Amino acid sequence: MILWALIGGFFLRANDPLPLQSTEVSLLTSAEFAALSVPDASPTVPSEAPQVVAPEPGDSEPEVAPTIEAAPATVEPAPAPEPEAESAPEQPQPEPAPVVEAPEEAPMLPEPPSEQASNAEATKPDAEPQPASAPRVAPEAAPEPEPEAEVSETVTPEVTPDAEAEVVAEEKPATAPEEATTEIVTEADKPSAPTASVRPRSRPAPPARVAETPVAEEPARPQSDAVVDAVAAALAEAATSTAPTIAEAPAAPSGPPLTGGEKDALRVAVQQCWNVGSLSTDALRTTVVVTVNMTRDARPDSGSIRMLSFEGGSAASASQAYEAARRAIIRCGASGYNLPVEKYGQWQNIEMTFNPERMRIK
Amino acid sequence: MRLIKAMTLAVLCLGAAFPAVAQERSGPLRIEITEGVIEPLPVAVPTFIAENPAAQEFAESITRVIAADLAGTGLFREIPRDAFISQVTSFDSTIQYSDWKAINAQAVVTGAVSAAGDGRITVKFRAFDVFADAPLGDGLQFGGSSASWRRMAHKVADAVYSRITGEGGYFDSRVVFVSESGPKDARLKRLGVMDYDGANVQYLTDSSSIVLAPRFSPTGDRVLYTSYETGSPRVFVLDVGTVQRRALDVPAESMTFAPRFGPDGQTVLFSLSEGGNSDLYSMNVNGGGLQRLTSAPSIETAPDFSPDGSRIVFESDRSGTQQLYVMPAGGGEPSRISFGQGRYGTPVWSPRGDLIAFTKQNNGRFHIGVMRTDGSEERLLTASFLDEGPTWAPNGRVIMFTRGTQGAGGEPALYSVDISGRNLRRVPTEGPASDPAWSPLLK
Repeated sequence: MILWALIGGFFLRANDPLPLQSTEVSLLTSAEFAALSVPDASPTVPSEAPQVVAPEPGDSEPEVAPTIEAAPATVEPAPAPEPEAESAPEQPQPEPAPVVEAPEEAPMLPEPPSEQASNAEATKPDAEPQPASAPRVAPEAAPEPEPEAEVSETVTPEVTPDAEAEVVAEEKPATAPEEATTEIVTEADKPSAPTASVRPRSRPAPPARVAETPVAEEPARPQSDAVVDAVAAALAEAATSTAPTIAEAPAAPSGPPLTGGEKDALRVAVQQCWNVGSLSTDALRTTVVVTVNMTRDARPDSGSIRMLSFEGGSAASASQAYEAARRAIIRCGASGYNLPVEKYGQWQNIEMTFNPERMRIK
Repeated sequence: MRLIKAMTLAVLCLGAAFPAVAQERSGPLRIEITEGVIEPLPVAVPTFIAENPAAQEFAESITRVIAADLAGTGLFREIPRDAFISQVTSFDSTIQYSDWKAINAQAVVTGAVSAAGDGRITVKFRAFDVFADAPLGDGLQFGGSSASWRRMAHKVADAVYSRITGEGGYFDSRVVFVSESGPKDARLKRLGVMDYDGANVQYLTDSSSIVLAPRFSPTGDRVLYTSYETGSPRVFVLDVGTVQRRALDVPAESMTFAPRFGPDGQTVLFSLSEGGNSDLYSMNVNGGGLQRLTSAPSIETAPDFSPDGSRIVFESDRSGTQQLYVMPAGGGEPSRISFGQGRYGTPVWSPRGDLIAFTKQNNGRFHIGVMRTDGSEERLLTASFLDEGPTWAPNGRVIMFTRGTQGAGGEPALYSVDISGRNLRRVPTEGPASDPAWSPLLK
């Protein structure tokens, strides 16, 4: 009995279906359309199934096929007209009435609208507008990759085995980043907007973080200044060598700190997958702070991802922003981030702030 | 000298190093992501399951409309079916998230269609967030006549769109427009109404007189438009259900045009021209309450209410060129909000209330653009020989407008564009079309 009580439920548990809501939809004839749109009298799409009568062909409303007007005759090109719909006439005289072959009878509105429920496809556009450059907007511009190249963060030429070579190279496909521009280029921008531009570099690390300082400042120092280099290297080594001692405090991260370059690499990797294209305007105003625990092979533990806080939006928009952040962390970490394993203690737990300030539609 | 520099650096660094290290190590690694990417979200929409043979013909069609709705926004990209690893064989089958992750599907929409003997069909769907390993909300079911299968597909797409983006959809909506035919110098025009994607066209008037500027009421049951059937421009109100129409009750000798409903559905804004001067007026759609809102020797036209009904945006040439102005709904001193080069017209307030769309003419080119309601942050979204007459989708994310082409064979057509300026698309119509006005989302 005890055994049955413990494990019996496993055999008895029903496969509960996921919840399902139900509502009704009806065909939108003109009459229904009007009726549906009146809030008080709207009988449409009730949550409970109303009796929806399928419209019979040849119902009370006669089928009137839409008249496809005759193709326009060739006329002289006209200059660019002013917007006519809403603009007041300069001289408030009526627009000259078009020459219309007046019908014999007085103009009458058609019988109740032609129920041209043409589910058939409408005419195909004959001149599709050109899409606005690359559909992908990313921090770094990238040209269109070779057709056979795999998508990767870096450009790598294809490596093929050379039979005559002494050392046979491992065969590798070419890789290249996905084509992207750095900003949305609208049709109106096209004549003057550059197709690619370099975004400003990320803000440098704060100077107080000494472990990062040598790396961050390295390019600015003279290459020949060997003494300074040596001292800086020694300092960095000294700083890192003392780190374990400091890290012995309980619950504190251990290992040498990440350099600015290593943190930048992580930041770049995550932002490659942070797709804000489908976020609502409100979500694009919401900054979320997300925490994630990492495995030793630098993959995110997806179960550990959670939102710590948000700012600038509602709970609903924060939820959308969080989901986009979560997807970014998981997607680009699927094969492991490029993080030094010897510093695992430093990146075992990461807090990422996703700030869409620069990604808003402006 | 080098030694001094080195020593100085050493002292400075040693002084700062240890506290900084201690600080660095006091918590988790923190990074800030400020730059992301903007690209369509990959979505998988496996063909809906036909739960009985009669549903077979609808299952594929409904799936295609849903996928087209989503992909048409430019926010989503449909993953080709031949890339699928998992096949969905039952509406209640478990989703294999790993299979969808492997093809980078970030959302999956599954569904089923069943057809009853009385001509009714039922469409149900579920959406899943692949990288969250969880459903996106509960399943949802729509029922109706088989003839309304397209509406059901749009409703499913609206629900999916809303769950993923967090904002309302716009697929289950209609557009009233002017259908055109004939040569440019003798155009025949009539009012048409269609689904937002160009399907299910119905005509509301014949082509016996010029019609312009149709505008839906906030409830979508009536349309205001300008007609020349009396020989001069006059505003009419038309009941969409009965196609009955009547002229607004204004002085017979005046010309009225550019009408627009107020958010209460009772107030009508329009331009009234008398004695050679055009000004803005409001009145009750059922007659009475005629009120003059502007009084200037210039041309004031194209008025539109803010969504809360407190303000009116309109165009005026009172400064010498055509510009945009905002004033209180009851009239009062207007504030000019457009200051860029060129001429501005046909302002339309966004349903969200945060932006105003407009037509701009500058350097021989026409643009559709948006600006904040104070005139700041102007952005031009399009550029062509002739772009004009913007109208907002119910969710304020998309703008539809008229684009005319140059030359003898030039014809107007309807286009849509995202407010980011991306995803410029032509809206399919049976022939030349102009002057679109988007309905509210259907109930």
